[in-house]
Amino acid sequence: MKCIYIDKDEVLAFLNSEDCHIEGQSYEWEGENVVHIHTAALPHAFGRVVAAHWHKSSLPSEPYAPEHYYVVILSDNEAKAYYVNEELQLEECEVNFIPSREEMYSRAKGILEVDILSNKRVMIIGLGSFGSQIAIELAKAGVGEFALFDFDRVELHNLARHTCTIKDLGRLKTDAIKDAVIGKNKLAKVDLFPINITDQKALMDEQVAKADLIICATDNNASRFYLTQCLLKYNKVALFGRAVTRAEGGDVFRHRPGGPCYNCLVGSRAHAMATEEITNRSQLPAYVSEEDANAMIQVGLSSDIEPICNLIVKLALVELSRGKNSGIESLETELTYDYYMWANRRERRHAVWAPFNEAKNKPTILKWYGARIAKDDNCPSCSANALLDLGEDLNTDSLTPNYEGIVLETGE
Amino acid sequence: MDQARFELEKAVLEKKLPSNMYMFREMGTPNAHLLIGARTNAKNVYTLKIMLNDFPSSVPTVYTTKPLKDRSGRDLDVSHELHNYGTTDGKTRICHYPDGSWSPRVSLYKVYIKCRLWLECYEIYIRTGQSIDTLINEINRQGGNPTR
Repeated sequence: MKCIYIDKDEVLAFLNSEDCHIEGQSYEWEGENVVHIHTAALPHAFGRVVAAHWHKSSLPSEPYAPEHYYVVILSDNEAKAYYVNEELQLEECEVNFIPSREEMYSRAKGILEVDILSNKRVMIIGLGSFGSQIAIELAKAGVGEFALFDFDRVELHNLARHTCTIKDLGRLKTDAIKDAVIGKNKLAKVDLFPINITDQKALMDEQVAKADLIICATDNNASRFYLTQCLLKYNKVALFGRAVTRAEGGDVFRHRPGGPCYNCLVGSRAHAMATEEITNRSQLPAYVSEEDANAMIQVGLSSDIEPICNLIVKLALVELSRGKNSGIESLETELTYDYYMWANRRERRHAVWAPFNEAKNKPTILKWYGARIAKDDNCPSCSANALLDLGEDLNTDSLTPNYEGIVLETGE
Repeated sequence: MDQARFELEKAVLEKKLPSNMYMFREMGTPNAHLLIGARTNAKNVYTLKIMLNDFPSSVPTVYTTKPLKDRSGRDLDVSHELHNYGTTDGKTRICHYPDGSWSPRVSLYKVYIKCRLWLECYEIYIRTGQSIDTLINEINRQGGNPTR
């Protein structure tokens, strides 16, 4: 017997409409006798696609179209479905309802109040191995609105750590992750921005102003610095996450209004300019040869990324439900640091950390460590007493200060 | 670059350099840039065009307004040895600052000084054939003098 899935929200919409008949579509997982039937075509089809006819109360009279499906809606929780075989006989199918939104997230109730999250808008910049996982986790938790930013497409080298699969190769990451988000939270509103954030500054301003939380999951400081300007302008909370070389470790920074900004962090000892993980060619200067680039691009494992994504998701849920009776409010008093560090292996920057078995009170692998970051009184981004780096560290003794006779050439 | 930062940068340049040596142009447009003159120890004069569209979030792109030549007299081509991104449309784009160590607190004046050091290295390369990469590494290692 074929197993049919129909969407309760679509059933309710059909029942509430004046239509007594709708031409929909079915998607069959071939060879598995599993068929999903919808009242309208899905934006991205899967499986074998054939027509499905929706009716209220009773089946229409013959003739029936071969290999089509007929769905009869009897009430909001009762339906029958039939498949017309090659001999034009009706085969009754087992009907299952995909629950409505309220039902779908009822399991999370008591742990996390999903009503708080359904009205929240999260902006995610960068949909690589971090951003893609975070988006899907937040969708699973019940976040209702997303603004997804990434101008990249899914490439072969992404697949090992990315939520996207081989069938997504070549697609815009924004489109592919929207599908994944909708697959977890069908009522989520997802706005897509396949752009470089520094190219459309007015749009960025508008989107930052609208968001309840911003997550920066890019692979470069330029985007983090630029985003910081927008955060300061609109007093927004943001989370920054990244991996360091070969994902030997990673860190998470939380920006809250009035606290230290990302630029304060970069100037701090805790951050110490750890080498950014290089995951793709675009992070390297154009003059780096292919051979050198191949040696420099060293990504870590997906399992090295997971713990960092996990903390970002937890912090995001705390921030989105802060001050509300959410069920996870105890974390508000525990996850209070500005900056969190994690090591997967004792390499490079983490080589001096203690071995896991002998660590006692010393920092070791596979544990989170938090730090408070002092606000920089002379930060050029968030302080009224900005001091710039004038290059005092450079040895300029050899440069003759000879300014006479200089005429500027525009080169035009 | 917001207005407050622009005022800070202007104040630094006013203090450090004669006013005829630099000029902010097309501010408020995607082509905003600073033209700034540089005279090397060998008394050669260059004009540098520092693009400000993403400054101070990212390392500003810097061009010489005339093409720089290699030792054979050809336009400089993209090269790690010679720390440049090549010559297009009559401008050579120089590599003056690694992306990974950039911070928004770096002033345009410091960028200018780094470019001055780069130009000194370029002139040593023209005279001796030593690569700019080697010379810059020497500066970084010893805080040394590229013209000695």
